[in-house]
Amino acid sequence: MATTRTDVVIVGAGGAGGIIAAELAKAGMQVVALERGPRLNTSDFAGQDELRFFQRQDTRPDVKRQPVTWRRNASERATPLGSLAYGNQAGGGTVHYGAVSWRMHEDDFQARTNTIERYGADAIPSDSSLADWPLRYADLEPFYDQAEYELGVSGKAGNLRGTRIDGGNVFEAPREREYPLPPLLVEQPSLVFDEAARDMGYHPFSTPRAILSQPYNGRAGCSYCGFCQGFGCHMGAKSSILVTKLPEADATGNFELVTGAMVHRVNSDGDRATGVSYWLPDGSDNTVEADLVILAPFIYDNTRLLLLSQTPQFPNGLANSSGHLGKHVMTHLMARLLVKFDDRRMNAYMGPSAQKHSIDDFNADNFDHSGHDFIRGSQISIGTHNLQGGPISVSTINPPPGVPRWGAEYRDFIADAFTRYASMVAQTENLAYADQAIDLDPNVKDAWGLPAPRMTYDWRRPNERARVEFMLQRMEEIGEAMGASQVWRAPLSPGRPGAHHEGGTRMGSDPAESVVNRYGQTWDISNLFVVGSSTFPTMSGFNPTLTIQALAYMTADAIVNRYRGSPGPLV
Amino acid sequence: MTKEKETRREFLKGAAASAGAGAVAALVPAAQAQTDSGDTASELRPTAERHGAFFNRQQALTVAAVAERIMPGAPGKPGATDADVLNYIDLALAGAYEDQQYFYRRGLDALDAYCRATHGAPFASLDADDQDATVAALEADQADGFDWPSAGAFFNTLRTHTMEGMFADPVYGGNKNFAGWNLIGFPGAQFTYTPAEVTSAEPFDRAPTIGLQSQATRRG
Repeated sequence: MATTRTDVVIVGAGGAGGIIAAELAKAGMQVVALERGPRLNTSDFAGQDELRFFQRQDTRPDVKRQPVTWRRNASERATPLGSLAYGNQAGGGTVHYGAVSWRMHEDDFQARTNTIERYGADAIPSDSSLADWPLRYADLEPFYDQAEYELGVSGKAGNLRGTRIDGGNVFEAPREREYPLPPLLVEQPSLVFDEAARDMGYHPFSTPRAILSQPYNGRAGCSYCGFCQGFGCHMGAKSSILVTKLPEADATGNFELVTGAMVHRVNSDGDRATGVSYWLPDGSDNTVEADLVILAPFIYDNTRLLLLSQTPQFPNGLANSSGHLGKHVMTHLMARLLVKFDDRRMNAYMGPSAQKHSIDDFNADNFDHSGHDFIRGSQISIGTHNLQGGPISVSTINPPPGVPRWGAEYRDFIADAFTRYASMVAQTENLAYADQAIDLDPNVKDAWGLPAPRMTYDWRRPNERARVEFMLQRMEEIGEAMGASQVWRAPLSPGRPGAHHEGGTRMGSDPAESVVNRYGQTWDISNLFVVGSSTFPTMSGFNPTLTIQALAYMTADAIVNRYRGSPGPLV
Repeated sequence: MTKEKETRREFLKGAAASAGAGAVAALVPAAQAQTDSGDTASELRPTAERHGAFFNRQQALTVAAVAERIMPGAPGKPGATDADVLNYIDLALAGAYEDQQYFYRRGLDALDAYCRATHGAPFASLDADDQDATVAALEADQADGFDWPSAGAFFNTLRTHTMEGMFADPVYGGNKNFAGWNLIGFPGAQFTYTPAEVTSAEPFDRAPTIGLQSQATRRG
């Protein structure tokens, strides 16, 4: 058992924690980051091994050691989820993610106000806690820019200071300057998708991705090997936190990364955090005392840690005087469509495997929702099934109606389809609802003896079902226009949490209605911050990572330039 | 032993020697067991008298036969037997999937009882039509006598593991001679595709199919 002392302790050295660690260490603060998993490096990913990394999920949590349970509603007993998508190592999910890097729309930050203005208050489901963010796009723009340039994002601007540019995303919020790197190559599936989408009057573009289209900052450009989502990049072309911010933090001499550290409590004294306690693999119980405590694990553990750290002053969880801790959880609803061609190969296994090209015409409020029985939307992208194009992934595709899942007919299907199929996905926005929640499972414990995080969640609400059905129909139309010989739907999940998780420690402008302010600073304890997608009040129809990273830069900036000089509430 | 297997063995030995670490050295026997696995597996086929890494002879016969119905071979179309799916599953259950040993034991016992009760013989002895009817009953979760695992769960696992044995890299003991990848036209662990290749609507044919073993050689 050891007790050490530092300026700042960060829980989780992933997409958010790695950025804050580097920025604070560069500013001269002593930073200790506690990471539950190992620290790997690029040579650990040398094997382009679908079984190990995609199927057996080598970079992801072991669900037996770190279970997360799920139930559809409060009357069910929760059971452990069979797989977990977040990262379990230094660099977090950015090690194995598809690297899709969107900025959210201006409208995404004000979804509640805009919905009421355009469609009336009745358009919002009565049980939804849809809320505006306590900041605007313009507040975050400089930090989006910083993330894109420091990490390395490839794309093409569609809105440069208000000027719309064909070929980029014309629906994007205005950006101050072009992407640091040109778009990645246009692959065969995207060529066909773009042509069909343009013919239909839509606006296709290369999805912005944190994958180098050219050499950048000493790293090599992408080789299009295809072992991408689900894999660590074997050449370091994916701009993960592992190859960007952690080396920056190392170089300061002010940064210490402790791996294998399982944080089990945030220590506090009244309304002041004093540090955290963690177990190491040898069983020892250790404490870091710090002036500033920053929580940046995946969203499950933000809520769980605060619940576990209750005190007499905060009996319902640390920094939870609002009662909103663990609530308003959202996940992306995956509407998926398969297309297969007789006249050409798609070769979808080549190149970055997540959303390759996209349209944004049906996202957010980019189209008129009048007459529809839902609000909000989704981007629609072309790519691979499961966002990964290898054969084991393809073997999980439910074949088209009439084709069995095994036997000679199935063998002939997969032999034919593997190089001729592509997959569309609409990662559909899920509104916030207070009863979509995380708490502590009373029955299931993790390998350390702590109660597992428990999700209570079922996406199948009327607004969500209608939105998903709408997207499936749009994708079917695009698939037909692409000239596919077969177009078929992938099954929808039976209510289960989907991709990306947001919420649990939502930010707001009212301490009674939210857990943290716009900087991720808890309303109750001014030296305790939470950074990551758990603070999102709404999720948007976009992958969350670039917004998580922009928020991390903004928080780091506020700590260095304001909080450090006069510690206290930042708003 | 093929040249490919020799080179991977040399690579692993070299890594162990240069690291000089006990932990790395301990990896070598396991890796050798895997690289030798092609030979072991041929002795597990229906004429076999030997046990596998996990399965006894009867279990091996059954799993090989079920896998072959899930992915049947035909001239020019390699199936589960051609790919040595049995060897993949056997090694997996003795290693990474050892926590599923009881699942398999129970599932195979229930399958054997079901086949004897329904068709009067174990699965591997049935003709192809009766085997297909049995697999269909498993998939539909309508085979009597299963409790845990359920027939449907047992089918899903057998299907998943058959696909892994067809399509995982050959270092894991299946996908023998790239049988699975050749079936579907996957060129494996290529380091790079050119701009012309990613744009093309034609099949990729520039380079031979490549697996992790030859990658190891190239890097070494």
